[in-house]
This record gives sequence, structure tokens and C-alpha cells, in this order.
Amino acid sequence: MSDHVIDRVKTGIPGLDDLIEGGFPRGDTILVAGKAGTGKSILATQFIYKGAIEYNEPGVFVTLEEPPHLIKRNMMQFGMDLEKLEREKKISIVDLSPSKEVAPVTIGEYPSFDLSGLEAIILNHVKKLNAKRVVLDTLSIMAYKFKSRDILREEFFKLTANITRTGCTLLLTSEIPAQDQGLGVFDIEAFLASGVIVLYNEKISDTSRSRSIEVLKLRGSKHSSRIHSMRITDEGIRVWPGEISPGH
Amino acid sequence: MIEVVLFKSDSCAFCPRAEEVVREAIENFGSDVFTLKVINVSENPEAAEEYGIFALPTVMIGGVSVTGIPEPDMLMKMVLGTKAMKKRKVRSK
Repeated sequence: MSDHVIDRVKTGIPGLDDLIEGGFPRGDTILVAGKAGTGKSILATQFIYKGAIEYNEPGVFVTLEEPPHLIKRNMMQFGMDLEKLEREKKISIVDLSPSKEVAPVTIGEYPSFDLSGLEAIILNHVKKLNAKRVVLDTLSIMAYKFKSRDILREEFFKLTANITRTGCTLLLTSEIPAQDQGLGVFDIEAFLASGVIVLYNEKISDTSRSRSIEVLKLRGSKHSSRIHSMRITDEGIRVWPGEISPGH
Repeated sequence: MIEVVLFKSDSCAFCPRAEEVVREAIENFGSDVFTLKVINVSENPEAAEEYGIFALPTVMIGGVSVTGIPEPDMLMKMVLGTKAMKKRKVRSK
């Protein structure tokens, strides 16, 4: 091995950096996959919040699912004041959720389109903030918005490449359908990213569940191959690197 | 006047054809009834964000939209839908 050291981006999730040689490789695309309720959005929001507040890295959070006022309310319970960071121009929360009132109702789709609209919206915020981190939460919603999945798959590659080309580290979330064995609805999620983190919330008895986290792949890193305990605490998500999940 | 809005971008390969189709359709419908507003998202990304337009080209008439190069029939349906909605609004006043 050479002495070359990869520049790393601190995740802002206590304990996680210890599993991945200090952080995500800068400028990479990382996928955070998990079933509903596993903590994907909290992890993604914490990545943006901590990036801005602890590491002086402005971030853009693009929400395709949950409206911003609910994200802000939910993150306040962990003491993370997103509104304040938005006012201070340290983060942007880009509302592309279905709750937008002025959005037209799509009544037709022809297989001759690209995602240059979404790209222009995101890159505009990246430029304005000089952002270093971008989150897209969640990729899965695109499957319900558009029918032409082949086009989407191709467009996702272009979109992720054009975002990371700016130097930003991109975190995508993907919801794994309840009975599914893959990493999302498009079957290509793992190929989009150079790193894949999977979150679990498994039933371990009739009365309890156990949260855990696995680093499935992270190119250029010697990462842990175990499944580690994870908890959602009063201060957000925390990982216990020395603790192996009892659910696995 | 009915406003037809076309969202396009500099990098979108399908957008020039979509613009041709929309312009031709407006000519056929009667250009005195319609106005075409072309929004280039590369220059005005805020407009795409305001309306939540991810995919280009997108044509918006009234509160409905189509994505991709539209067929003239579809544009006609959208126009008729907009007219019907306007009539309904007038009646309900």
C-alpha cells in the first residue's frame, strides 16, 4: 500500500467515523439505505447539521419527501436548530416535497426527458452557499413520481456525477421496501455510490427491537465488516463501534 | 388569455423539439388566445424550484403539466381542461 492519504469528511455521527477510517472520502457519493423507520433521514440531516456547525462545511439538504417544517420540528428534539443555520446561510433546505402547493399535477409523461431541472436547482444552492455537503432525501420517491425507470437510472448517474464534480460529498437515502432483499426500488442504488451504509431496526423479541448499522462497502477504506449497535439518543444518532448488534 | 409555460434547460437534448411542438400547437389553436412563456432553468433555477419541476422538458398549462416531448393531442386535452376549469369558476361566482 502507498502512503497516499484520502481526504475524509467527518460524518458528524459519533462512533461512525471509527468504523470507516475517520470519515467518508471527500467528494464521494454515499448511499444510506434502510427500511422505513430505521433513521435514514435523521442520519442524513445530522450529517448536514454537524457539517455546518462543527466542521464549517455548508450543506444543502434536498427533501423530496418530508416538508421542511416537519424536518425542522423533528430535529429540534435532538437540539438541532436547522432554522437558525438556514438564517445564518450555513445550510439550505430545498423543498421539493409533494406538499408544495404551487407544483402542477403531472397528467402525462413521455420517455424523452432528463433531470436537468433537479440538477439546476441543487447546483444553484451549492453555488450560493459554497456548499461542501449535499443530501438527497429520498431517492426512492422518484419511483413514484416518474414511470420511466430506465431513464431515471441513467439520469441518476449523471446527477450524482455533476453534484460531486463540484467537490461536494453527496449522501443519498434509499428506502428498502418491506419484503425486499435489495437496497432500494431501482436496483442500481449500490452502483450509484462508492459507499453504502445500511441501517436496521430488527425485532429481537416480542416486545423489543434493536437498531444497528452496517458499512456494506466503502471504496478506498478498510471499514468494519461487523454490524454495530446504533441508538437514537436525545442528541441524535450515535454508533457504538465496540458493540456488536444483538440482533445479528 | 391562456398561458402555456415551457420549462427547458441549456443541457436538455429533448427541449428544442418540445419547444417546436408547443409553438406549432399554439399556432394551430389560435395564437391570439395563448401566450407562451419559456423558462430556461439554467438561467432561472429558482422558477424550477418554485414549481417543483425536476424533469425537462415540462409543459405547464393551468395547474397541470406533462413531462417529455408532448404530443399535440395531449396539449389539446390540457387546454380544454383549463378552459373547462375557467368556465366552472365563472359559473360558481
